[in-house]
Amino acid sequence: MNDDIILQTDHLSKSFFKYQVLTDVNYQLMRGMIAAIIGPNGAGKSTFFNLVTGYHTVSGGNVFFKGQEITNWARHKIAKIGITRAFQVSNIYPKLTTYENVRQSILAQQKRTLNLFIPAERLAKQETLDLLEITGLSGFRNTEAGILSQGDKKKLELALALASKPDLLLLDEPTAGMSSEETHETMQLVKRLNKEIGLTILFTEHDISVIFGYAQKLSVLHQGILVAEGTPEEVRQNKEAQACYLGEEI
Amino acid sequence: MDKKYIFIKRFWLPVALFFIAIILPFVVSEFWVHVFNEILILGLFAAAFNLVFGYMGQLSFGQAAYYGIGAYTTGLLMVKLQWPLFACLPVSMLTAGIGALILGYFCVKLRGIYFAILTMAFGQLVFFIIFQWYSFTGGDNGLQGINPPEWLFKAIPYYYFSLAVVTIGMIILYFITESPFGYTLRAIRDNTERTEFIGINVQRYMLINFVISGMFCGLAGALWGPFNRSVAPDLCGWQHSGHPVFMAVMGGPHHFLGPMIGSVIFTFLNAFVTGFTEYWPLVSGLVIIVVVLVMPGGVFGIIKEKGYFSPRDVGDVKNE
Repeated sequence: MNDDIILQTDHLSKSFFKYQVLTDVNYQLMRGMIAAIIGPNGAGKSTFFNLVTGYHTVSGGNVFFKGQEITNWARHKIAKIGITRAFQVSNIYPKLTTYENVRQSILAQQKRTLNLFIPAERLAKQETLDLLEITGLSGFRNTEAGILSQGDKKKLELALALASKPDLLLLDEPTAGMSSEETHETMQLVKRLNKEIGLTILFTEHDISVIFGYAQKLSVLHQGILVAEGTPEEVRQNKEAQACYLGEEI
Repeated sequence: MDKKYIFIKRFWLPVALFFIAIILPFVVSEFWVHVFNEILILGLFAAAFNLVFGYMGQLSFGQAAYYGIGAYTTGLLMVKLQWPLFACLPVSMLTAGIGALILGYFCVKLRGIYFAILTMAFGQLVFFIIFQWYSFTGGDNGLQGINPPEWLFKAIPYYYFSLAVVTIGMIILYFITESPFGYTLRAIRDNTERTEFIGINVQRYMLINFVISGMFCGLAGALWGPFNRSVAPDLCGWQHSGHPVFMAVMGGPHHFLGPMIGSVIFTFLNAFVTGFTEYWPLVSGLVIIVVVLVMPGGVFGIIKEKGYFSPRDVGDVKNE
């Protein structure tokens, strides 16, 4: 397998009982890229993420990460080898403070969570503050995460994923619930992380301006089938993509 | 914020309780010294149970099994092998921990009501083994003559011995709850799914915690035998597993001292009410109903709600 391919799926399929939600998806993502998977609701975008990250078991086909097969691995093992994700609906620790949320993820990455006797508050202070700073959450560090605004919860979701220092970051509608200003800030951060540390990013999104503004590669899913792939310009010109995505020109 | 202020804010209550516990035998009768000794032992039991309930978010209805294993280990070692009490305590923790490891291995595969039912089923299994094994455990007769050494024989010395052991146990438990491991338990409680996605093997952490909880339940059980001079299979039964549940709910499961405060309320009420009526379960049932309806977060929950503590109090003032 080509070393530049960070993620590859071969004939990846998923069915829930008799419903086929993903069919024979052959997908390749190159290292260091920002790519997006687009498609209407129910196209199978989140299912694709769920299969790659071990959230659902794969019904057919294989998933490879950096050349290693990871099909149906346990979620924590997939996270440990370098794939993390942010969820569509923010998935955080509502009773912990924003600071404690981020610290928890950092301590897990540093493999310090089995430490029984050093107070957690003494550990990973600077790393936590830095990550809160770059995700724009410093002002809320002592706020219980459950009462943050929807946009801030999404930022925290991103911070939790970033704290794991992944090689591949999957973002499921990262800007849903954010204002246009927050959307821009978040996507700028994503772009900066990609540029500065070479983080590979795969995201799903409905906001056309975000998709065409940031993605270097687009893949179009429709009813669980990968119908088109290419640069944003190529996809824009693709009649099949236009037909099944919005039913009109994109 | 000033470190000294944070320290005082965090620890004034446990320190005050500790000093009150020291002077109590000088101001109350021997009967009440017995009651307070019971409060300490059951408080440790409830605090150990609360590692699973309040911190990890799973309700165990079988922690009495490990309490009972600890009590029987000490009882058997002292009665049959004449071991000194001091040596029995760590061995009791070990046997209870092994029991929790074996039974917990299956329990941590489940969550919620299924976890609760399996812990209860295993608790009953331990109860029936002890109940039926006459030649070894004495069956339903239990074990008698578990006498502490002479210098601990009277109520007050044994009370201070219990106070010392329980205090050490509570300090260790406190450190655990404030450690990265303790926060991982909170993370599992708050959002198990997310915890897996940050790279944590949730089942493994749940098992480790179950074992730690079992060990400290065993330590509390080990203190009970010499205190009561006997042990009986009832100690392992599901009804006894309910006591730490009541205590944690009464005191407040989301506060480290909640179960100990719950033990004070529960045990004190028990001693007080049984002086007037035999219908103690009726009274305890009414108290639980009132607590659940009026203050669902327990005593500490209502104190927090009224704003006497910040949301991050007693061991939770952070990042100021």
